[in-house]
Amino acid sequence: MKEMIYQTVCPGCNIGCGLYIRESEEGALVVDFMKSSSANLGKLCRFGMKLPHYYSKATNVVDGKEADIKTAVKAASDKLKGAKNVAMLAVGATTNEEHLAFTKIADALGTVVNTGIGAYEEIPSECHPSISQGIPLDDIEKAGRIALFIDPYVQYPLLVRRLLAAKKNGATIVSVGCRDLNLADENLSINPADYKTELGLDSNSIIIADVHPHTDPEQVKNLLNLSLMTGAKIIFMKPFVDSTGVHLFGKGVGQKGLQEIMDGINDGSIKTLVTLNSDLLELMPNTDEAAKTLEKLDNLVVITSRDSPVNKLANIVIATESLYAKAGSFMNVEGQVLNNSGESTVGIDAMSILSKNLGGEAFDFHAIHDKMMKSVVQKFTAPKYSKLECKVMETAAPAENGGNLISVYNPFMWCDQPDDNDFVIVNMKMVDKLGLQKGSMIALTSDAGSVNVRYTVRDIPDGLILTMKKLPVVTGNSTVVKAEAV
Amino acid sequence: MVKVGDMLVGYATDENVRSRGASGGLVTAVLAAALEKGLVENVVVMKHINEFEAVPIVTDNVEEVLASTGSLHSVPVNLAKYAMGRKVAMPAKPCDAQAVIEQGKRGMIDLDNTYVVGLNCGGSMHPVTTKKMLVEMYDIDPEDVVGEEIEKGKLIFKTKNGEEKAIAIDELEEAGFGRRESCRFCTLKIPVNADLACGNWGVIGDMAGNATFCQVMNEKGVKLLENAIEAGRIEVQPASEKAIAIRAKVNSVMEDLGSTLEKEIFPDIPDEERMQYYMEQMEDCIDCGACKEVCPVCACGEDSKCTMFHSLVDNYKMSMYHMVRLLHLSDSCIACGQCSDVCPSDIPITLLQSRFSIPSQRRRNYQPGINLDTPPFFEVILK
Amino acid sequence: MTEREWTPKIVAFCCNWCSYGGADTAGMGRFQQPASTRVIRVMCSGRIDPLHVFNAFLEGADAVLVTGCHIGDCHYVNGNEKTQVKYQFLEEMLQQLGLEPDRLHLNWISASEGERFANFINEVTAKVKELGPSPLKPAGVR
Repeated sequence: MKEMIYQTVCPGCNIGCGLYIRESEEGALVVDFMKSSSANLGKLCRFGMKLPHYYSKATNVVDGKEADIKTAVKAASDKLKGAKNVAMLAVGATTNEEHLAFTKIADALGTVVNTGIGAYEEIPSECHPSISQGIPLDDIEKAGRIALFIDPYVQYPLLVRRLLAAKKNGATIVSVGCRDLNLADENLSINPADYKTELGLDSNSIIIADVHPHTDPEQVKNLLNLSLMTGAKIIFMKPFVDSTGVHLFGKGVGQKGLQEIMDGINDGSIKTLVTLNSDLLELMPNTDEAAKTLEKLDNLVVITSRDSPVNKLANIVIATESLYAKAGSFMNVEGQVLNNSGESTVGIDAMSILSKNLGGEAFDFHAIHDKMMKSVVQKFTAPKYSKLECKVMETAAPAENGGNLISVYNPFMWCDQPDDNDFVIVNMKMVDKLGLQKGSMIALTSDAGSVNVRYTVRDIPDGLILTMKKLPVVTGNSTVVKAEAV
Repeated sequence: MVKVGDMLVGYATDENVRSRGASGGLVTAVLAAALEKGLVENVVVMKHINEFEAVPIVTDNVEEVLASTGSLHSVPVNLAKYAMGRKVAMPAKPCDAQAVIEQGKRGMIDLDNTYVVGLNCGGSMHPVTTKKMLVEMYDIDPEDVVGEEIEKGKLIFKTKNGEEKAIAIDELEEAGFGRRESCRFCTLKIPVNADLACGNWGVIGDMAGNATFCQVMNEKGVKLLENAIEAGRIEVQPASEKAIAIRAKVNSVMEDLGSTLEKEIFPDIPDEERMQYYMEQMEDCIDCGACKEVCPVCACGEDSKCTMFHSLVDNYKMSMYHMVRLLHLSDSCIACGQCSDVCPSDIPITLLQSRFSIPSQRRRNYQPGINLDTPPFFEVILK
Repeated sequence: MTEREWTPKIVAFCCNWCSYGGADTAGMGRFQQPASTRVIRVMCSGRIDPLHVFNAFLEGADAVLVTGCHIGDCHYVNGNEKTQVKYQFLEEMLQQLGLEPDRLHLNWISASEGERFANFINEVTAKVKELGPSPLKPAGVR
C-alpha cells in the first residue's frame, strides 16, 4: 500500500487555499484539509471539496489521434515553426514556473502571452500592481468598514469567514449588488456616481471587488477612483489561482482580453492559438459560439493538465501532469508565494523542448524557479498593501446592455464543473407574474437560443434573473432574455 | 507476562527512538514492533512537516514509523478514517479511539484487525492559531520552537536556545487562543476505550520525561505489548502506587475542568429563542459538505440522506442537510470538533450538534465510542 | 377575495391498516373537522422517516401528526414500535431546535376510532391556531 500525499493549492480562485491531495496506488484522489495553511486554515468551499473532478487527466493528441508526449511536442514544433498570426493565452490556472516557461515560447515566436483580462489595457499601467496584488487577507478582519462589490457566498466563499470575523471585530459591511447578502449590514443598489457619497468609506475601509476576463474596465476605474478619493484600501479578487503571478511575469503591454482574441480569430488576424491551461470553451459565456469560432483556426495547440472540452477541438494536445503533482509555485491575491510539494516537471520539460525547437532557449525547472524567485518575488516577501500610484481617472458609466439575466461568475462557471447549481434565481414577484408552480421549470429565450431551467426564489430586485451556471442562452455578463412558465 | 488491567511504565530500548519520541518513545516502538512482527500490515503515523504541521500517512515501512513524530498538540485531525479497510495499528487520542469504535459498529472498520494505541490528551490546538499565539502571547518566533508540553494547567514552549516559557491555559483561552473549543468541554482525557492507554501522566522520579505510563485495556493491548517486548523494542515495569495515584489525580482535575467549561460553553437558551439562534448560526452555510466529509463517525458514504434530500434549489428556512445531520448524529456524535474546524463559514457546528447530542446521550446513559454497546437509536426491543 | 381566517395546515401521516381507516371512518361518520388537514397514507407508521416530517415542516406545514396502529396491533408485527423509537429522537430534536411541542404529535388510532381521529385533529388545530404559523414555513406559502 503506497499512498502519495501532495501539498497543493486550490485552483478555484486566487485566494490560494492550501490543501492535501491523497493519491492511492490506483490513482483515486481524495481531498484532505491542510489546517496549517494561513490563507484558509484548511477550510475549502464547494469547489475545493470537488477538486478530484477538476483534476481529470488529459491525454496527448496529435490530429485527433492519441500520441505520446514526445510526438505531440514534435508535432507542435512543426506546426508553430514560422507560424504567422499567432496568439498565446494563459489565464493563470497553472504554476508561476509553467507560465514563465510559456513566455519563453512566446519570445521564441516573437509574440506575447495574453492573460485574458482585457480590462488591464484600458487602465493606466501605474494602477496595475494594485489590481494584481491586493491586501493581506488578515487585514480584512481588522477593517472598520467594508464595501463589497462581489457576492462572497457564491464567488469567493473563503472570504465569508473573513467578513464574519471583521463583523465580530466591529466592522460594518455594505454590499453593492443585486442580491441581498446575509452578512451585510446594508445592501444597496446604487450607481457608480453615488459610490463616494453613499458608501461612507474612509482610510480605515476596504473595498472588495473582482476582475475577471469579462469585467467592464469602466467599473474597475470607478472603483479605483473610489479608493483614491476616500483613501480606502482596495482588493481585486480574481478567478484563477495564479492570476497575480501571470500578471507579474507578463509583458503587461499589448494584452488582449478573451473577447478580443475571439474577435481576432473571427476576423482572421489570429490563425494559430496556443493555450496553457486555459479553455476558451469554459471561459466564454456562450460555449457553442466559442466552439464555432475556434473551428476557424488553422492551428489550435493546447498545453494542459486537464481533460477539458477544448481538448476535443485542438489539433495538438500536450498533456502535462495534474496541477497538484507539478513542481512549482503560485502567487495568491495577497502576493504570497505558495509552493506545491510535487516534484514533477513534465510540463516544463515539454515546453523547454518546444522552445528549443522553435529557436528559443532551453531551460529546466530549477533555472526557471530561481529566476522567478530572484526577479519578482523579492518584492513580495511579506504581503503588504501598496498604496495606489495613480490619479483619479475619467470614467464613463459601465456599459449597459439592459440584460435581465445576470451571470454570477464563480469557479463552477469558469470550469464548467458538475454541481448542484442548475437553476436560476428569481424573486417572488416574478413567480407570481409568470404563474410559476412549485417544482415547475422556467423557459428562457434569447438571441442565442432557449432553455428550460429550474428556479429558486430569493429576495432580488424585480425583473432580474441570476444564474450561477453557464446557460446556452447567455451571451455576456448580462443577457436580454424572455422568461415564461413552462 | 502482561495481562489486561496492568498498569506499567515503559520506554523504547533503542536510544534514538527513546530520545526522539515524546516520553521515552514507547508508543513509537510498540507501533514499529507491530508492523515488524506482522501483527498488522500498516501503521498510521504523523509525518512531520514542521513543528506546527504533521500529516497522517498510512505506511508499511518500519523506518517511517520510527521517524514519525510523537504527540503533537497542534495537529487536530481525527485519524479514524485513515484506518478504514486496513489491517492497521495506530496512535489515537481518546476521540480517535471513539471514532474507530463507532466505525467498527457500522462495519467500516474491522476492530479485530485494528490496534489502537491510545494517548492521553489534554486538548489540541490549531496550527495557525498557535503560531499567532506564540507571537502575541509568548513573544517567541514560531520558527524557533522545538517542543511543547502541557503540564499542570500550563502550556510550555521550548525554544532553540534552550529557553522555556509557560503560560496558564486559562489565560490563553481567555485571550482567544489555546485549545480548540471542543477540547475544552471534553471529559475523556485518558483513552480507556483504546487497546492501550498511554501517556506521561504518572511518570515520576528519574523516569519523568523519559518513559510512558501504559494501562493495558484489553486482549489486543496485551498482544501489542507482548509483541513489542518479544521484538526487544520496549522494556516495561509495573507502575508504583504513587504513580497510579498521580495519574488518576491529573485525570480528575482535567475532567473537572471539562465539566466546568461545559456549563460556560453551553449557556441555556430559552425555548422561544432557540429556533432563531440555530437559524442565525447556520445562515452563512455555503453548502460545501465538508462537515459531513470530515465526520469520523459518519459511515453513510457519498449517497446519504443528508445530501440526497438536500438541494441548493430549495429555499427552506433551514437546510434539510443540517436538520438530518442534527438528528442523525444525536446518538453518535463524539464532539471531536472536526466539522467546526473545516467549516469555511466558521459555523460552530460541533457546538450546535452538541446541544442536541449531549442531552440525548446523557438521557440514555450512553456514551458513543466507549464500547460496543448498541447505539440507543437502534435499540428497538422486539419481542 | 376577502381575507379569510387563517387555519393551520396539518399534515397527518396515517398507516394503511389502522389510522387511515380511522380517518376514513371520521369522514363517513360526518364528524366535524377542519378541511385543512392533508392526509398522507403510508403502508406502516414504521415507514415514516424523520426526513418526511422535516420535509412537511420545511414545505410549510404548521403541524405534523404521526399516527399508526395501537401497540401490539401492527400489521407488520412491530413496525409501530420502531416508529416509537424514531419518534422519541425526532421529538427531542425538534424541541431542542425550538419548535413548539404542540406542532408534532404521535397517536395510535385504530380503523374504528373515527371520532377519536376527528377529536384529535380538532384539538391539534385549536392548539396550533393559538401558536400561529410555523416558524419554518417558507416565504410565499400561506
